[in-house]
Amino acid sequence: MNFYGFILDNTGLVLEYTLNHISLVAVVLFFSLILWIAVGLVISRYDRIAGTIISLGSIVFCIPSISLFGFFMSVPGLGLGRRTATLVLVIYAMMPLVRSVYMGIKSVDPSVIDAGKGMGMTGLQILFKIQVPMAWPMVFAGIRVTVVLITGIATMATFIGEKNLGRLIHQGITRGNADMIIAGAVIVSLIALAIDYIMGRIEKKITSPGLRFEAGK
Amino acid sequence: MIRVDNIKKTFPGANSPAVDQVTFNVNEGNICVFVGPSGCGKTTILRMINRLIEPDQGDIFINGKDVLEMNPATLRRTIGYVIQQIGLLPHRTIEANVALVPGLLKWPRDKTRQRVLELLEMVGLRPGEVGHKYPHQLSGGQMQRVGVARALAADPPIMLMDEPFGAVDPIVRIRLQDEFLRLQQTFKKTICFVTHDINEAIKMGDYLVIVNQGRIVQMGTPIEVLTSPADDFVLRLLGDDRGVKILDLTRSGSLMESFQAPPKTSAGINGCIVQAIQPVKIALEMMMKNNSDQVGVCSGDKIVGILTWNSIKAHINRVSGDGP
Amino acid sequence: MNFDMDIFMDALWRLSPGYLTEHLQLVIIPMAIAILISLPAGIIITRPGYRRHSGRVMAFFNAGQTIPPLAVIAIFFPFLGLGYGPAILALTIYALLPIARNTIAAIHSVPEDVKEAAMGMGMTPREVLFSVELPLSVPAIMTGIKTSAVLTVSTAVLAALVGGKGMGAVIFSGINFFRPELILAGTIYIGIMAIVIERMISVIEWMIVPAHIR
Ligand SMILES: Nc1ncnc2c1ncn2[C@@H]1O[C@H](COP(=O)(O)OP(=O)(O)OP(=O)(O)O)[C@@H](O)[C@H]1O
Ligand SMILES: [Mg+2]
Repeated sequence: MNFYGFILDNTGLVLEYTLNHISLVAVVLFFSLILWIAVGLVISRYDRIAGTIISLGSIVFCIPSISLFGFFMSVPGLGLGRRTATLVLVIYAMMPLVRSVYMGIKSVDPSVIDAGKGMGMTGLQILFKIQVPMAWPMVFAGIRVTVVLITGIATMATFIGEKNLGRLIHQGITRGNADMIIAGAVIVSLIALAIDYIMGRIEKKITSPGLRFEAGK
Repeated sequence: MIRVDNIKKTFPGANSPAVDQVTFNVNEGNICVFVGPSGCGKTTILRMINRLIEPDQGDIFINGKDVLEMNPATLRRTIGYVIQQIGLLPHRTIEANVALVPGLLKWPRDKTRQRVLELLEMVGLRPGEVGHKYPHQLSGGQMQRVGVARALAADPPIMLMDEPFGAVDPIVRIRLQDEFLRLQQTFKKTICFVTHDINEAIKMGDYLVIVNQGRIVQMGTPIEVLTSPADDFVLRLLGDDRGVKILDLTRSGSLMESFQAPPKTSAGINGCIVQAIQPVKIALEMMMKNNSDQVGVCSGDKIVGILTWNSIKAHINRVSGDGP
Repeated sequence: MNFDMDIFMDALWRLSPGYLTEHLQLVIIPMAIAILISLPAGIIITRPGYRRHSGRVMAFFNAGQTIPPLAVIAIFFPFLGLGYGPAILALTIYALLPIARNTIAAIHSVPEDVKEAAMGMGMTPREVLFSVELPLSVPAIMTGIKTSAVLTVSTAVLAALVGGKGMGAVIFSGINFFRPELILAGTIYIGIMAIVIERMISVIEWMIVPAHIR
């Protein structure tokens, strides 16, 4: 058993797969943040659609990722490859992101909003000066969960032709190559752990000291 | 200054109005206190003045202008509001909280900062000590002071104060009341003040509005209300010590028998004296302490009259009679 | 999309049902083991004596959850080979994390003053645990079990990759042969199974949670 031996012998391949993996996650994150944070902000102001959108997100979340990859792969015009992978992962990111934005905004103490209104803040000022800053730690936690999640699920995109760390695991299983499996699993896990750790650190930094107390409770 | 004309508000789903047929005026520079049991509609009345709640019917005028025709945000920036739940922004420091309205009004930075320091001093907080703290690091009483400072920040001519001293112990509350009354002597702001504590109402109010179940049951100056309660409800609200409360609002000078000429000696009253402007309650205290049934009344260091137990008793019987 | 209704019907009614029991086993066995391990572990770690370690234990569980499911499923293959056993083991570990985490968090979140009041009335630590801490944490613990169950139903699809069979076999052949009919059929069963299991746990919760804190 010598998985770093495998990594050393196939540096080029491993590097290519790793970079592919990271770039897929980055692209997905880019689109997801723009799309789902906007959706989260919108539904926080329109309670009537909020329930529907959030339960939609949870339903999608219960579908095995491989099935979603499979469906979209069969849609004409999408097929195998990065476009399908990106789309599916963006869909997956909906639940944690929309939910954290919505919950974050809704968790703001109503009396604080009331005070803001009473001082003469406009609706948008309340959103951007009170609700967003107070929700931000929760939103960032949601982003952290999302990045880790996407990093993990991206491995499954190997089944629709993505050449990323999932492929090391997948091919390792088909070829019965233990080192290859372990190399893939270890690298992808380390990336996920590292992201989680670093973002956890950032999360602590960016939280206003006034909110840290509440979060710590 | 503030004129409220027959407003009514029924919350959706409620089967009786939270506020009904409410009409009152608040004169410039006065403190008008709304007092009544929990849930009687005090907060609702207050919040209709700055349009956090829209009345179903009726009109509200400030300086002759209909508030319903003003932009709500602009209106609210000219009215200081101390909310019942304090509602400090937890993610901002104390200084930033106080600077909220000046920020909205785009004051220059220096002016805002100057004002914040001044206000924190004014409400009895040390700017250097608490300015950089966050709300959760303050005690309940300190937070309420910050809430008052925040409402005063842009020096609004009108203040709405919803139980501003509700979250503190009785001793601190009395201190806050005294400090606020002292400030008000120079401010001369027009204030709507909500409380459910009748003692606080009598102490703070130039004018009382007694509310029960959404309606005004009586209005008047504290002494008017105390001496002629409108009904059983007001009587009960005033409590069993109504007579003592009256004596607390009556100046000793007003019940004394004046000397035609100042006496040569004060031997008859054994140094047992009060100032004419002190309440009769203090005179009673002096009588009890000295085991006497009369006290001398001074103006400055000159004795001007004498107040006797009998004249106090007669006064009480005359003004309070046996209720409504 | 070339969607063949006949193939779909065949997959839905004839092929997939054969894999249902297997899949159910892939969910129920790991769940049962995970609950049996993580509930007592969660309770022990929140006892006063071990409490100071609970931060580290939580961090460990949190970190564990970041590891991708495919990696967890695959990692046992080199050691234990193909088959049902390794799949069950991997799924157990995966199911364990959310349950343990929620149990610890739930017991921690019982307010200190409530516990103090209970002790002040003369309850022994054991009585505090069974008549205060646990009843108050049941809803959150059950949430953890639900989350874990739904997650396991869909993660169990991966068992097919390491010879563990289950509904994953249908879905993966759909992928390999480009047959969306198979993927859809398999996914429908997965979805129904997730919903039914979630409902069943809710019913159990409803039965064991005292009415006044529900
Ligand atoms: N936003 C609201 N929606 C529905 N009902 C409300 C709302 N606000 C107040 N009420 C109801 O209106 C009535 C008056 O409430 P209000 O808050 O004005 O009472 P209050 O006199 O300020 O009481 P307290 O002394 O407890 O603060 C109450 O019955 C209350 O339940
Ligand atoms: Mg109120």
